Amino acid sequence: MTRHTTRAVLGTGAVLLASTLVLAGCGSGFAGGDDAAPDAEGLTSSDDALTVLIGSSGDAETEAVQAAVDAWSKESGTDVSLQVASDLGQELSQGFAAGEPADLFYLSTDQIAGFASNGSLQAYGDQLSNKDDFYPSLVENFTIDDTFYCAPKDFSTLALVINTQMWTDAGLTDADLPKSWDDLAAVAKTLTTADHVGLAFGAEYQRVGTFMAQAGGGLVSDGAAIADDDANIEALTYVKSHLEDGTFAFAKDVGAGWGGEALGKGAAAMVIEGNWITGAMSNDYSSVGYTVAELPEGPGGKGTLQFTNCWGMAADSPNQQAALELVEYLTGADSQLAFSTAFGPMPSIQSAADAWTTDNPDLAPFLAGAEYAQFPPNQDGATDVIADFNAQLETLKSGDPAAILGSVQINLEAIVE
Amino acid sequence: MKLSPKKLTWQIVLYAVLIVLAVIYIYPFLVQVATSFKTDEEAASSGISLIPEVWSFAAYERLFARSDFPSWFVNSAIVTVFVTIGRVFFNSLAGYALARLRFRGRGVVFAALVAVMSVPTVVLLIPKFLVINQLGMFNSYAGMILPLLVDAAGVFIMKNFFESIPESVEEQARIDGAGTFRIFWSVVLPMATPALVTIVILSFQGSWNELSHFIVSTNDPALTTLTKGVASLASGQLSQGTQYPLKLAAALIMTIPVAVMFFVFQRRIMNSTEGAVKE
Amino acid sequence: MAQRSTPRRGGASGLRRGEAAAGWLFTAPVIAILGVFLLVPVLMALWVSMSDWAGRGSPLSGSVSFVGGENYSAVLADGGLATKDFGTALRNNAWYVLLVVPLQTALALFLAVLVNRAMLRGRGFFRTAYYFPSVTSSVAITVLWLFLFSASGAVNDVLSWFGINGPNWFNDPRGILQLLLGAFGVESGPGALTQSGALGISWWDWLAGPSVAMSAFILMAVFTTSGTFMLIFLAGLQNLGGDVDEAAMMDGANGWQRFWRITLPQLRPTLFTVLTLGLIGCWQVFDQIYTGTRGAPSKTTLTPAYLSYQTAFTNQEWGQGAAIAFILFLIIVVFTLLQRWVLRDKPVSRRRIRAYEVVGEGKSS
Repeated sequence: MTRHTTRAVLGTGAVLLASTLVLAGCGSGFAGGDDAAPDAEGLTSSDDALTVLIGSSGDAETEAVQAAVDAWSKESGTDVSLQVASDLGQELSQGFAAGEPADLFYLSTDQIAGFASNGSLQAYGDQLSNKDDFYPSLVENFTIDDTFYCAPKDFSTLALVINTQMWTDAGLTDADLPKSWDDLAAVAKTLTTADHVGLAFGAEYQRVGTFMAQAGGGLVSDGAAIADDDANIEALTYVKSHLEDGTFAFAKDVGAGWGGEALGKGAAAMVIEGNWITGAMSNDYSSVGYTVAELPEGPGGKGTLQFTNCWGMAADSPNQQAALELVEYLTGADSQLAFSTAFGPMPSIQSAADAWTTDNPDLAPFLAGAEYAQFPPNQDGATDVIADFNAQLETLKSGDPAAILGSVQINLEAIVE
Repeated sequence: MKLSPKKLTWQIVLYAVLIVLAVIYIYPFLVQVATSFKTDEEAASSGISLIPEVWSFAAYERLFARSDFPSWFVNSAIVTVFVTIGRVFFNSLAGYALARLRFRGRGVVFAALVAVMSVPTVVLLIPKFLVINQLGMFNSYAGMILPLLVDAAGVFIMKNFFESIPESVEEQARIDGAGTFRIFWSVVLPMATPALVTIVILSFQGSWNELSHFIVSTNDPALTTLTKGVASLASGQLSQGTQYPLKLAAALIMTIPVAVMFFVFQRRIMNSTEGAVKE
Repeated sequence: MAQRSTPRRGGASGLRRGEAAAGWLFTAPVIAILGVFLLVPVLMALWVSMSDWAGRGSPLSGSVSFVGGENYSAVLADGGLATKDFGTALRNNAWYVLLVVPLQTALALFLAVLVNRAMLRGRGFFRTAYYFPSVTSSVAITVLWLFLFSASGAVNDVLSWFGINGPNWFNDPRGILQLLLGAFGVESGPGALTQSGALGISWWDWLAGPSVAMSAFILMAVFTTSGTFMLIFLAGLQNLGGDVDEAAMMDGANGWQRFWRITLPQLRPTLFTVLTLGLIGCWQVFDQIYTGTRGAPSKTTLTPAYLSYQTAFTNQEWGQGAAIAFILFLIIVVFTLLQRWVLRDKPVSRRRIRAYEVVGEGKSS
């Protein structure tokens, strides 16, 4: 056996030597890193076409963005190709590691810290011509170490979306719109029948967190982790009790992938969803009429969550100048109002607020929520903590809220300095 | 010869078990075909019926007219064709050299092959990505095809086969003055048809059904293959809903080429595993 | 008259001239490609797993530094989220292996024995039917399975014929062992099991069994691989001579005894092949998870292979991802060696030897 082992070692060694020589000779794939990066003010410029990578909420959003980039492309003469990601986070990471990222992409509040820390992003916020027009709270979410990285593209809040037909069939009127947790429980009970559940929402912090906010809790407050606060335990206990009595349900338990599908398929009478539901409803479930109402108050007052994404720009992009111009176009009032009409989110610039309210009177509750909405935590590593929280929320029906929140607190403390 | 009652009972039980199992194995695919022709609502409600109430071609229309499915098919086909040709050629070359040619270091190469075969593919996910990057082959057909062009198992199959051919034929050709490559190409290779067919079947199946390699070597939508495309469909790319007919139709079409190949070469596939046992 | 020339060593001159060069030339493509895309990546991954490369630039560049076992300890010892995720993935995959390998081996053997019977009509049809699922790609089968096992899908329809209310398979995170114990009224674990644990998971959770979602994957694995292994067993069965079997039949052994005492021991090498292939395959579950559930529900379908991919490609923790891959490599090697040791040809025990001696003495009088 020894002879064979020696041969194996020799063989491996020889092959290794040969291949290392090959690799050393062709080591060129990785870009950036050691090379001197363009300085902060200087954006790269070239004739290259731009690639834009988005994580779409559905056909409505994809078509709207496609129309906008096509219009700009015709105007400016630079080609733009739009790509829809099936897993945005993974495709971004892989693109950055390979040195071939998209030029512009959706960047969420929980992803920005990670990508900024390894130099993948180009900070261009200060060079935007309309940078003072953005809501300060949105800008704050995308500012790291006093550098304003990217332009917020829109924002959305969560509200209660009700199937109008089921509402009136159950004998309810406008006066019955829930204003408190007890109201909500009563209305959900009335609306729960053999065919559909009263209230459905995704099994994730991004939905259940509204209850936590209404109880006066949340995940991070003033830079400290407060996950195991009594208010949060109260909120989760409330949700758990109604999951158990069958008036609330997780979307996947009624056969839907998300709240919008549950509403559209008639699996739920009410859902907790954000502005983007408008696009999905008009595209895929146009026969279902719905009303938007503010979420009820909890023991801690009104509460909801808001979400925003920005247009991230890659540090490795060869044509950042053109990308900047595209961003300014896409965040202009006209583009944002067009996106709004197509799939519902609210414009990120203050100058468009009035026009939006006039255009979308039915969606006013979403904007009203912006007054008191919380943002999800955006520290580096928050994505994993929230993912773990979501994994545990899926077992909320049979689980222990205090234990779940306790473990989230431990994880949060590790990332909140 | 008449069977005793006891033996007859056992025969019936045997056939019953075999048939029930066969139904369990075949029925899912029949349901798949049927569901691809149903409407979304019917697919979600009546999962088990084999005849759609309303025949609907919406899934196929969406697949072929309004999605990138055709380009996925083309990409898979390109990769599979090149990989199969490459493997047939390179595996047989190396197998012949290891079986017949005497050169110093032959044992070393063989031992290295054995060592390489023992590395599980999952360990190679991340590093293959890094190497493909380093060589500048990310997002290119080269990056998709080159790493799959050779496989150690195929070399073994060819080596085993060549060793079973009597040496006299080659000796005769050598005496007649043929060079090594000539002997390989014109004398030995034509005799290796059964083993070559095995390599063709295995490489076709392997590269057509490959997923993780394509995940790490590309992220350009234009280079998406069928496996990657159908996987993204399954996670809801073309829409947010659970559109079963669409997903099942895509999976069905993806299975057809391998299934055709299987039915055509059935006998050979069933018998090729005999070689595996001898190892 | 053809001369049979004796092969000469070293291929120096005459008829075998140029053979050495040809040999190297013929094997060069194989060596190059396997070396570059199999051997070198392993080394590169080893380096990345012990470095702090963050995902930009080359991992071999000067700005990347050596951090020793930091990534490994983050995954194995620190007790944070990374450790818990690895523990969960390990638990899920361990139950998967524990259930799939015996089930698929037993089913494959059962099918092979049935199909191998001498007077069987339609043998080709049955062999084809059982083998067909193995030909399809795991992506296609996962898509089909997601449909069949959906809340209102075919499987739950069939279960309802027997009066069973089927679960929402792929969305149900409850462990089946815990469900079983719950049926007997054991709701939560005893203090000893819930208080302590390993890798961030309590012992009670380690013993929770695969989740309902994972069970659907287990059934899928048995469905798709039993055909391949059936063929391997068939080949093994057909290689067995019939004489030992006939001799046993003459000695009065019935079918069951013949199977356990005669056929099965002779199939030991085949069994070894099937078990090894099964183990190696099961520890690397990736395609099905990527296509189907991506770790959901509640991380109960997370496997180390998928975790390694997710940690590196989505969370940009390349060092940890590579570390997980190597730990998995180690696990596979250990299991393969363990299984080889368990199935080795054990020396016959002394009691047996004495029993034969007695019999021998009795007969040779």
